[in-house]
Amino acid sequence: MDATLVIYALYLAAIYALMAIGISLVWSSIGMVNMAYGATFAVAGYAAYFAADSIAPAIRSWSTGVDGMVLLAVLTVMAGMIAGALFGILVYLVAFLPIHDKPNFAVRSLIVTLAINLAAVQALLFAFGPQQKALPRIFGVGRFNLLGTPMRLDQAITILTTIVLLGLVLLWLRISRRGLEIRAVMQNSEGAALCGISTRWTALPVMMLTGSLAGLAAVLLSQSIFVNPSAGTTPLIKGLTIALLGGLGSVPGAVLGAILVGFLEAITGIIPFLGQRYVLVVQFAFIVLVLLIRPRGLGGLLDETRE
Amino acid sequence: MSGTLLAVRGLSAGYGPLRVLHDIDFSIAPGERLAIVGLNGHGKTTLFRAIMQLVGWQRGSILFDGKEIGGTRSLGEGRYTPGIVRLGIAMTPQGDAIFPGLTVREHLDCGAHAKTAWRDRTRRRERVYQLFPQLDELQGALVGKLSGGERRMVSIGRALMSDARLYLIDEPTLGLAPKVSKRVIEALVNIPLEGKAMVITEQNVALLSGAVSRMMGMHAGRLRGEVGHVGLA
Repeated sequence: MDATLVIYALYLAAIYALMAIGISLVWSSIGMVNMAYGATFAVAGYAAYFAADSIAPAIRSWSTGVDGMVLLAVLTVMAGMIAGALFGILVYLVAFLPIHDKPNFAVRSLIVTLAINLAAVQALLFAFGPQQKALPRIFGVGRFNLLGTPMRLDQAITILTTIVLLGLVLLWLRISRRGLEIRAVMQNSEGAALCGISTRWTALPVMMLTGSLAGLAAVLLSQSIFVNPSAGTTPLIKGLTIALLGGLGSVPGAVLGAILVGFLEAITGIIPFLGQRYVLVVQFAFIVLVLLIRPRGLGGLLDETRE
Repeated sequence: MSGTLLAVRGLSAGYGPLRVLHDIDFSIAPGERLAIVGLNGHGKTTLFRAIMQLVGWQRGSILFDGKEIGGTRSLGEGRYTPGIVRLGIAMTPQGDAIFPGLTVREHLDCGAHAKTAWRDRTRRRERVYQLFPQLDELQGALVGKLSGGERRMVSIGRALMSDARLYLIDEPTLGLAPKVSKRVIEALVNIPLEGKAMVITEQNVALLSGAVSRMMGMHAGRLRGEVGHVGLA
């Protein structure tokens, strides 16, 4: 396995981890499988495209150097994340708030979020048509050498950005008061209610946070694929299956699952008799196999048990 | 100091077709420590859960400090619970219904939900550690790894972190060794009330006898009046 392949695998893992952790967090804290996550991804991709499209000329006339590129990159990423967070609020208002204390919330919200997903994809199709949009190469197209290994600039920056932002999110969950409340709801929502923590108010930051993670994933992935109305479908399916693989609700499980699937995809792609066509087949076969052996996913392996 | 802190009138509650509580009437005054004793499955926990609006359905009046927190309801269990908690009722749930993945310190911080309590949390934690010195060394330990007695202490300590005026302590000795049970009850009795009130449910009458101001019996979803102190201890 050469270094380029490892970098590619980590690059895929970074994007899948963003999607899987978003789905996992929502499930474990508010008990909802967010099928609208694909739409969040696509909407954020479009927002980032239009933001980059409208500000790029202004930035180019201001500066064509590195500072201009950095500014454009930061603004595009922020546009994607903000759009994702706003879409998260929409999902919260439509799919969570009206039905969260009704019976059978898990199934109802699954259906509502699936409906949101379909409606949003069709709305994007109606508004912008099926043409693919290409985001500007906000991280540049160059390569550089790190310890003798050639790396693509955009892949390196994607891996780095994901690690930094996910680290910040996990740190925030660990040290802030809001994070403490979210973790309390994740572990025992009734106990949290008895601590005066309202699920209604905890769900909002969770939806915004996970929405912005999807937005980040959209901007990062759009560096190598195009934005189109159904761009979110594959990331949604992969995020969902990786979240299941990692054990729904387990953040370390989701990260491990994403890394495994990332490597699996990269390796399947270069095996001569399999190739890129068989990536999904191999992936699902692997996930089915793991879930047959460990029905609750990988998460249980990582959690500490009582000695 | 007014006469009653909590007044329950005609409270019935249950889950689905099952009716657990039948027209409960009782009240508690500030400074009182009331024990509700009864066997397993006779509605003690459901009574607490009805006060917190955590049961499936309920009807009847629950006045807390003159404010109605009861009423008729058949949906939305738990929806108003955080609001009731913020009015000043702290309930420690039965058994270990707490956060296994949080440390002792984080767990206690969860109890400090009001703004003033949150700012004051370090001092309040110290107070809990004084009451339960064992917890002092376990501050960074995960609650899920503690022993049953230690978990119970964390649960009670969490209730003490808040500004509650009414403590509902559900079965504090459930599943604990007799020695540990005694220590937990001792700690509960030693908590200064000063205008606050505490209701404890318990199956073991002998443990509480003489330690509380009043005792009521509960049987088949009805309160059976004052029990009086049995001289078993």
